[in-house]
Amino acid sequence: MATYDGLFDMLGLRSWCDGGEGGGPMSMADLLAKTGGSGDGATRLPFPSLDTLNDACTAFPQSRDLTVGLEEGFLSIRDPLRAIVDPLTQPLSWLLNGTLDAMTHTPWFIMIPLLMLISWFVGRSWKVVGLVAMGLGLLAFVDYYDYAMQTLAIIFVCAFICVLFGVPIGIAMSRSDRLQRIAIPLLDMLQTLPPFVYLIPLIFLFSVTEPKLYGIAVILYAIVPVVRLTDLGIRLVDKDVTEAADAFGMTKRQKLFGVQIPLALPNIMAGVNQTIMMSLAMVVIASMVSAPGLGILVLRGIRNLELGVGLIAGLGIVILAILLDRVTKASLARIDSSQSSR
Amino acid sequence: MTKTVKISIRNLYKIFGDDPQTALKAVQAGKSKGELLEETGHVLGLRDINVDIHDGEITVIMGLSGSGKSTLIRHLNRLIDPTAGEVVVNGEDIMSYDEEQLRGLRRKTMSMVFQKFALLPHRTVLENAGMALATQGLKQANFEAEATKWLDRVGLAGYGAQYPHQLSGGQQQRVGLARALTSNSDIMLMDEAFSALDPLIRTDMQSLLLELQAELKKTIVFITHDLDEALKLADHLVILKAGAIVQQGEPQHILLNPADPYIEQFVADINRARVLRVRSVMTKGAPEGDVAGDIAANDNLESVIALARGKMDNRFRVMDGDTPVGSLNMTELMLALVPREETVAQ
Repeated sequence: MATYDGLFDMLGLRSWCDGGEGGGPMSMADLLAKTGGSGDGATRLPFPSLDTLNDACTAFPQSRDLTVGLEEGFLSIRDPLRAIVDPLTQPLSWLLNGTLDAMTHTPWFIMIPLLMLISWFVGRSWKVVGLVAMGLGLLAFVDYYDYAMQTLAIIFVCAFICVLFGVPIGIAMSRSDRLQRIAIPLLDMLQTLPPFVYLIPLIFLFSVTEPKLYGIAVILYAIVPVVRLTDLGIRLVDKDVTEAADAFGMTKRQKLFGVQIPLALPNIMAGVNQTIMMSLAMVVIASMVSAPGLGILVLRGIRNLELGVGLIAGLGIVILAILLDRVTKASLARIDSSQSSR
Repeated sequence: MTKTVKISIRNLYKIFGDDPQTALKAVQAGKSKGELLEETGHVLGLRDINVDIHDGEITVIMGLSGSGKSTLIRHLNRLIDPTAGEVVVNGEDIMSYDEEQLRGLRRKTMSMVFQKFALLPHRTVLENAGMALATQGLKQANFEAEATKWLDRVGLAGYGAQYPHQLSGGQQQRVGLARALTSNSDIMLMDEAFSALDPLIRTDMQSLLLELQAELKKTIVFITHDLDEALKLADHLVILKAGAIVQQGEPQHILLNPADPYIEQFVADINRARVLRVRSVMTKGAPEGDVAGDIAANDNLESVIALARGKMDNRFRVMDGDTPVGSLNMTELMLALVPREETVAQ
């Protein structure tokens, strides 16, 4: 006799209850109760959860039906979803493959100077260029060069796509309060969802051998800061200046490109910096779904208990993080000093 | 001299809130600003404003903070849209303008100078000065000459390549002024343009503006909370209080005939000897008999006192150019220095 039998009898719902198909699979709690013998039933009042109510009234589903239902629901829409999403995201796979190929097959004596050149153009600081040379040299010296390049390639592609989509989304959010109200909870969710959770539906959706699987996971996780800070940056542009732009008859487009984006650039660049750092964090986790790079070595360290490999790979990630951070910070400082507003 | 009306503001109301139209009816039925806020939560910005702004004149709109003067000036180029009423510029009701026409108005007919300068921090002084022309689609090579000309004119020759943050506040506002002048619009809106500046620099800028105005004859609408500044610049003075016009007219006239206690309180602190002109206190008609000397109709009383060396029994002949137009004796002059309210009280 289940705890809530009396309740349903009292409400006269017995016939409705018994209409439900009984004899669902037993829950774990049931099994435990069976093996452990029943407790003191009189004083025990279990919370009226799905499982408890199911005992009394089989019209209620068991709680495992919820997760099973979710899973089945997802599987049933999987094929049409895949038919749409697969071709849409295919370019991401090509881009990732292409960049991975290019960066690992270019010989080191071209690649390292090229990266130094890029950091010079971005940051305009010899100190930072020196740091880049040293960091990459160190990684290459311990034979982690290839892994580092793979990680960098994924980060470059993903951060680029994050900026490509994130900045326009941020601009749209800054223009519409309603869109901002809708987007902020979504961004909050993307940011707080544990990184592993991103991988679960993606594994169902794509084959694990496809690079876009981890590409999408990294992008979803890392796009948040650039969207947020673009929105914030444009909203923080001095009202007086935008008013002046209006007063002199600027069109919306002139105002956006001539006033708002340039003045929001420090904030947008801070967002890009954060996005790059977050894609680095995610790319390590994504090695669980076959993302190549230093993450694979960390994973190997855990799986095979290869302490040295795991630690050195971890330190390699730290070095990459420092390099990426310093280069983007240097460019941020450059923008700041060229337009310190007052 | 008949003056053409450049901008005409007719029955303008502005109410801030969720449902301004309903609140408007209440206001038109006579509800006061305080009652409106308390009962409906709407803020009355402007109440029944009627002003004619004449071509080639400086119209000063004066009021304390919260009186709605900045709101009013923003109606002239529709940075703010009114709840009711019309604004007619050059004979056209700008309320009927679509976006395109409105942009044209803002680009070609009106320019604006802001209290906080509102320069673009990432552009050079030259690019800022040429902002109006650049907005119209001109390349820098084409607006450079014009922008440089006006930068020179406001005393910033050679600063073109600098960035705004490298300049002092006064210099930044000169850039703001040059920016408005470079657009070559007939109408200039100046929103507390000199209020953020040091007193000495403010005086410089006022003189610069008057000097430019003598030459350019633009239609200027100037907002200020400073009566001294208003009296120095104004051809036509409009005094706002709590969103409504208390008095408007020629500044000398307002000073001598304040319409209500609010304005009396305002004008009480003014150095009348410096502000009042001979023409507004003189006795009309060419004098007969002895005069101690000639004074110009536009001299201020301070200079007459200096001329009389403080003696009370002199009489002066007032000249407008070469023709005598009136006379002024020192007794009249001294009486004019005392605000009217106090003479009545004694």
